[in-house]
Amino acid sequence: MTSSIVSPHRRLVEAAAATGRYLWGGMGSLAGLALFLALWEATAQQLGSLILPTPREAFATLAQMLTHGSAWSDLAISARRALAGYALAVLAGSALGLAAGASITASLLSRPIVTLLIGTPPIAWLILALLWFGAGDGTPVFTVFIACFPIVFIGAMQGTRTLDDRLRAVAQAFRLPLGMRLRDVYLPHVVSYLFPGWITALGTAWKVVVMAELLSTSDGVGAALAVSRSQLDTAASMAWIVALVSALLAVEYLLLEPIKRRVEAWREFASSSES
Amino acid sequence: MSTRETLRRALGQTLWICPFRPFFLLAATYAVLTMSVWAALLAGFISLPGVAGGPFVWHAHEMLFGFAMAAIIGFLLTAVPEFTGVTPLGRRPLMRLATLWLVGRGAFLLSGVLGIWLAAIADLALLVALIAIAAPPLWRQEPRRHVTFITTLTALALTHAGFWWALATGGEPMRWLRLALGVLMVLIVVALSRISMRIVNDVLFDRDGEARTPYLARPPRRNLAIATITAYSVGEFWQPGNAVNGWLALAAAAAMANLLNDWHIGRALARRWVLVPYAVYVCMAVGYALIGASLLGAAAPVSAGEHLLLAGALGLAVMIVMTIAGGMHSGHGLDERRWVPLAAAALVAAAVVRTTGGWWALPAAFTFSLAAALWVIGWAIFLRFGMRTLLGARPDGRERCDEPPPRD
Repeated sequence: MTSSIVSPHRRLVEAAAATGRYLWGGMGSLAGLALFLALWEATAQQLGSLILPTPREAFATLAQMLTHGSAWSDLAISARRALAGYALAVLAGSALGLAAGASITASLLSRPIVTLLIGTPPIAWLILALLWFGAGDGTPVFTVFIACFPIVFIGAMQGTRTLDDRLRAVAQAFRLPLGMRLRDVYLPHVVSYLFPGWITALGTAWKVVVMAELLSTSDGVGAALAVSRSQLDTAASMAWIVALVSALLAVEYLLLEPIKRRVEAWREFASSSES
Repeated sequence: MSTRETLRRALGQTLWICPFRPFFLLAATYAVLTMSVWAALLAGFISLPGVAGGPFVWHAHEMLFGFAMAAIIGFLLTAVPEFTGVTPLGRRPLMRLATLWLVGRGAFLLSGVLGIWLAAIADLALLVALIAIAAPPLWRQEPRRHVTFITTLTALALTHAGFWWALATGGEPMRWLRLALGVLMVLIVVALSRISMRIVNDVLFDRDGEARTPYLARPPRRNLAIATITAYSVGEFWQPGNAVNGWLALAAAAAMANLLNDWHIGRALARRWVLVPYAVYVCMAVGYALIGASLLGAAAPVSAGEHLLLAGALGLAVMIVMTIAGGMHSGHGLDERRWVPLAAAALVAAAVVRTTGGWWALPAAFTFSLAAALWVIGWAIFLRFGMRTLLGARPDGRERCDEPPPRD
């Protein structure tokens, strides 16, 4: 690798150029998004704004809610709950999954349990959570946790299960210190399995929290959606949906995808050195 | 030899040795002439009593089917022989075709006197003749790599016929001209992808030698741009002013911006043969973005964004294609003198000034005149310095449209 002899200034410029290329590469996706909005606009014009408001009406309502209403605080409440459940699921799922992957017996045992957890619909967990935790933060946080946990768990388990035995042997033969073995041999491989699981789980957390709030709480985006539904306010409903999807897209493409590219850069290097 | 004799010799002989020569000369001359007339019309110095559809329709139509059409004819009649290996048109047929172009211009100007049907036939004959000449060799080629040109030309002919039909039946001619604008934008994307593959890679080769990864005009991005431009143009034709078209225009803007990804090739982008085509695409992206914003409720009128597509993208594309093709096929080679960026900058300035006209800061009449003046200056520069590729004899002793020999 020659990257160590490149000056910091040069590296900064290259990083900025790569970021620019990444962001500009999203222009194609923006074109697709605009086509989708055209379709939405055309459908809304056919159905009338009582059934489906136009994109502009939804955006205007959202802007209005953000400047005058309580939209920010509702979004913050939902984000807090989603992130709490998500953080618990990431911690527990990663730790248990890594541990389970280390032993074949444990993997065999945990597989049907995970299948069972994934197979149970979140709405069923929500009912149980309502019985156990009542109307409060506990219900959405638990529901998010239980919906995200198996996704993270499976990723982590696969990560340790698929570790290359030969690499392990080489590391042992060279008597690599434990810290280096973890950081340079195991971690890159495990992370490349963990990360997709974390990303999928984050999307799930965001969707599940809204569903849980819709049925269980009096604040948060879900509760606000319930109110707009009962008032037959389709513009507000669409505005909330737009806010939810935009937040998800922003986190995914501005935060997670760049990180994912970084941590998976070694794969490209590995596959290009094979040929 | 006196100047007069030189000119006579040029007009009688050297002007006709390759098809691009007479038509590029017509395009550039007409760019100056018709814009001067338009500026005089706007200022109220003259009037056009005998024109069907009125002066606005005349201005729009002549820019598309007079100015741009001459450039397209010159480009295709030179490019098709290069693509397919057929012999370029000789002096006589070129003279007939150029006469047809002139008749079309006169016919529209006199359409009030001639009657619309006669003017329509005189004007439409040119495009039909072009298709009859250019389409067969492109179609016979195996594999049919350049068949998009046939499709685009046919679409252009149909919109042109629709324009005359609307004029004759009291319809809305401007709607058809907007559709034709969309076809021309597609044609620019198609033509520039062919030219850029050659020119950009030459520039890269000069800089870095063979080690460099080549520039590729990738079809998926190009097809997305063509599809979105088509969707917007058809939508706006079908239901003018609808907000759906606003989103479609934004999609076209994003797709054009996406096309720029092909062009982010490092420092070679600063070279004129790369930068000017790049500016064409930038004008298209910003133009469609402005149109989209207008249709979704912004203050600027749709015509503001459209003039970024016309004076900006179309004007620049015509100029750079005429400079590149003129240089390559006249034996002079690519022109590295300073007038090229200067003329291009004048056109960009004209487009920007015209786009801001009437809704942003400066008064409309002033911006329109200034934009017209900048446009005329840009084309006057082209005529002054590019003339040698159109009227002069070949400096390298080669024949007709041959390219100069490779440098090494």
